[in-house]
Amino acid sequence: MDFMKFLKTVALAAAVVLPQPALASGGPALPTQSWGFHGIFGQFDQAALKRGARVAVEVCMACHSIKYIKFDALKQFGFSEAEVIALAEAQSHNKKDRMTSPMDPVAAKDTFGVLPPDLSLITKARKGYEDYTYAVLTGYLTDADRALVQKVMEDGVLSEGELKELSSALGVDAHQPDKVKEILTRIQANENFNKYFPGHFLAMPQPINDGSVTYPDGVESSLKQMSQDVVTFLAWAAEPTLMERKALGLKVMLYLVILTVMFYAVKRRIWAKVH
Amino acid sequence: MSASAHSTAHSHSPVPEQPEEESRRDFLILATGAVSAVGVAGAAWPFIRSWSPSADVLSQATTEVDISALGKGQMITVPWQGKPVFILHRTDEQIASAKKGDAEKLPDPAKDAERAQKPEYLVLLAICTHLGCVPQPIGTGNFGGFLCPCHGSHYDTSGRIRQGPAPKNLEVPFYAFKDDKTLVIGKSVG
Amino acid sequence: MSKSIMDWVDARLPVTALIKSQATEYPTPKNLNYWWVFGSLALFCLIVMLLTGLFLAMHYKADANQAFDVVEHIMRDVNYGWLLRYMHANGATFFFITVYVHILRGMYYGSYRAPREILWWFGIIIFFLLMATAFMGYVLPWGQMSYWGAAVITNLMSAIPVVGEELVIWIWGGFAVGDPTLNRFFALHFLLPFVIFGVVIIHLWALHAVHSNNPDGIDLDEHKDTIPFHPYITIKDLFAMGVFLLVYCAFVFFIPNFFLEPDNYIPANPMQTPAHIVPEWYFLPFYAILRSIDFLGSFSKLAGVIAMIAAIAILFILPFLDRSPVRSFRYRPLSRQLFWIFVIDCFLLGWVGYNPADATRFNGALPLIVVGRTCTAIYFGYFILLWIITAFDIEKPQPVPKSL
Repeated sequence: MDFMKFLKTVALAAAVVLPQPALASGGPALPTQSWGFHGIFGQFDQAALKRGARVAVEVCMACHSIKYIKFDALKQFGFSEAEVIALAEAQSHNKKDRMTSPMDPVAAKDTFGVLPPDLSLITKARKGYEDYTYAVLTGYLTDADRALVQKVMEDGVLSEGELKELSSALGVDAHQPDKVKEILTRIQANENFNKYFPGHFLAMPQPINDGSVTYPDGVESSLKQMSQDVVTFLAWAAEPTLMERKALGLKVMLYLVILTVMFYAVKRRIWAKVH
Repeated sequence: MSASAHSTAHSHSPVPEQPEEESRRDFLILATGAVSAVGVAGAAWPFIRSWSPSADVLSQATTEVDISALGKGQMITVPWQGKPVFILHRTDEQIASAKKGDAEKLPDPAKDAERAQKPEYLVLLAICTHLGCVPQPIGTGNFGGFLCPCHGSHYDTSGRIRQGPAPKNLEVPFYAFKDDKTLVIGKSVG
Repeated sequence: MSKSIMDWVDARLPVTALIKSQATEYPTPKNLNYWWVFGSLALFCLIVMLLTGLFLAMHYKADANQAFDVVEHIMRDVNYGWLLRYMHANGATFFFITVYVHILRGMYYGSYRAPREILWWFGIIIFFLLMATAFMGYVLPWGQMSYWGAAVITNLMSAIPVVGEELVIWIWGGFAVGDPTLNRFFALHFLLPFVIFGVVIIHLWALHAVHSNNPDGIDLDEHKDTIPFHPYITIKDLFAMGVFLLVYCAFVFFIPNFFLEPDNYIPANPMQTPAHIVPEWYFLPFYAILRSIDFLGSFSKLAGVIAMIAAIAILFILPFLDRSPVRSFRYRPLSRQLFWIFVIDCFLLGWVGYNPADATRFNGALPLIVVGRTCTAIYFGYFILLWIITAFDIEKPQPVPKSL
């Protein structure tokens, strides 16, 4: 009997634990952000969407498309007709057009070696979702990191302290000094290092820097703020029906609770005769 | 909630316990049935609605046309909601001919002024009211207007039926001049 | 009035008699527990899938150049398209959950034993058809996982000696998975659910011929031990459906992408395989069995495919492997332990299947392939041991009640 209990407990534990998505092996853990649109009651922050749309159009769309969204859809975040037309025309588009990049795909492939992916679904199409996109945008080397890399490369020696500092800045295991050195060499060769991109090197140079965009609403356009905003916008672009879904979901769940309780009450009554 | 109110209302009455149980049960079952029916109807709604025009179709409810290049006497055919629309920049003679028609005995009486917001521009849904063919351009029919090639209906320079089997005038779609250069056909939806 | 109409109909087609004998007054055991609701829940899932699938098909286009975009069109532009699509995608998951519980319930209470063998076999046929339907449905969104899942699974056929390579090209209708493949998979994905529905009717016919098993696994006295299906079982199933819908809708509305792989939101790219491809969770245990046979050299590929198919096919002979005089494991202490080990083993196989083939644990000390092989052995071992302990009277069943 005890063995039975043990087996059932293990089975239950297996049912709960094993389906958990395995963490992406290799690479540092993604820092998690708090996204206002997560959770049962989560909502998109309209002001952040408006700021994020500006970053997306003025920065990302130099190379990337967001083809499932049309320019005039931006009006719902409070852009005026004239602002939408201005944003569209800056990309040589009509306001009813899909948000495709003016960059020629062939030229893009020549410049970067890869085709910049469409961003419409980017936050749904990567493990880590919004956190991943945010981590990549903010995962480039800081000026301090660059100075340290510079110093190590000039000295030609990697001290124990520097190794430790670099391993945390680069997100590489400190037990692998050879790997750290290889990364330093590639950084020195002007390759684009990113702490969170799988494999660490990518074709895209740091897209957003402090002040890349001027926000008309007076919010400071820091790297973190803009990344937060643009990821919010991209999450909206990936699923514009999210708020409709959750609002309907709440009503459906409430209804189902009532219905299920009623079914249970009827069941109790009907079965009262049998027991 | 209402089930308990129901039972309290009856708790003072001298009705024997058994029938009360029965009626409470009936009420509960009826209420559950009603709530279920609401749920089934609610669940059917998304399926029904999925047949209505989708957002991308609705976004084509209106068509904007640049008419700045359309000279006097010229006509263009533009697609609107998947149907052909004639836009004619009428000459003075065509306008005069249309006005003259106002006084005639018409199968489907209508004044030209009601059919053209600005006398220079005539906007018509180019679908013959007989059996749905697309009439030929201006000048092909009698009365200086449009001829439907299928069964020989003649429309005048105001798009009114004058001769042939068609029962009604060519329909004038909803349109508005956004500015001097731009004509918007249709009402935006949603 | 309505009575006379019914009489008129009944004289020509005995509808009332059928409803009475097979539905309302159909005798069901008094002592069925809640594990018995999963059969009707599975039927409910089938209906949800048929309805949502039908309406999705009205918007979908089976064209390799348009399929990915059209799914996004459904998600964004079609009224409630997102709901239909998330209900359908998550519906597959919940369909499999109900079916797996339904199968395990049958295994635990000996529902496959005489006289229910044919009932059991039709159940397994439904399970096979369900897997085929789910696999082809997963190809339709034409994302990276769709594409590469289709590539890997169809390539399994190439393991068949002599004709394998030709067969795969025939299935693809080309030299790789492509537009012809997508079109035929769509046609079959539309057809098979109706075939499943037909086999479900045979499954129910077989059930009603021999009547439900029960937790004690004993033959019941039809008068003393049974209750009419309506209202007793109908209301119990409805209550279970309410609970089921609560869980299902929580996923559909609040975490609809929980069971979907991010890679499937990347359009299919025949030039690039995702770093780590996994099948849908409901195939994982079988996928792990497939991969665990890697020690037979050039024969491994075929052996893996055979092992994977055998893992399901072995269920067909389960009624003959189990020789115990007692049906229900409730009174069979050894079988019960084997059963729970089997359940844990299936979860472990699923976990191994989810991880990359060359994954290890404990700093490389434990390659998962070893776990996979062990679990595969345990999987088949269950059936063999069940035969041994029952055929040679090793298990001593506990006393079984004569009636309820």
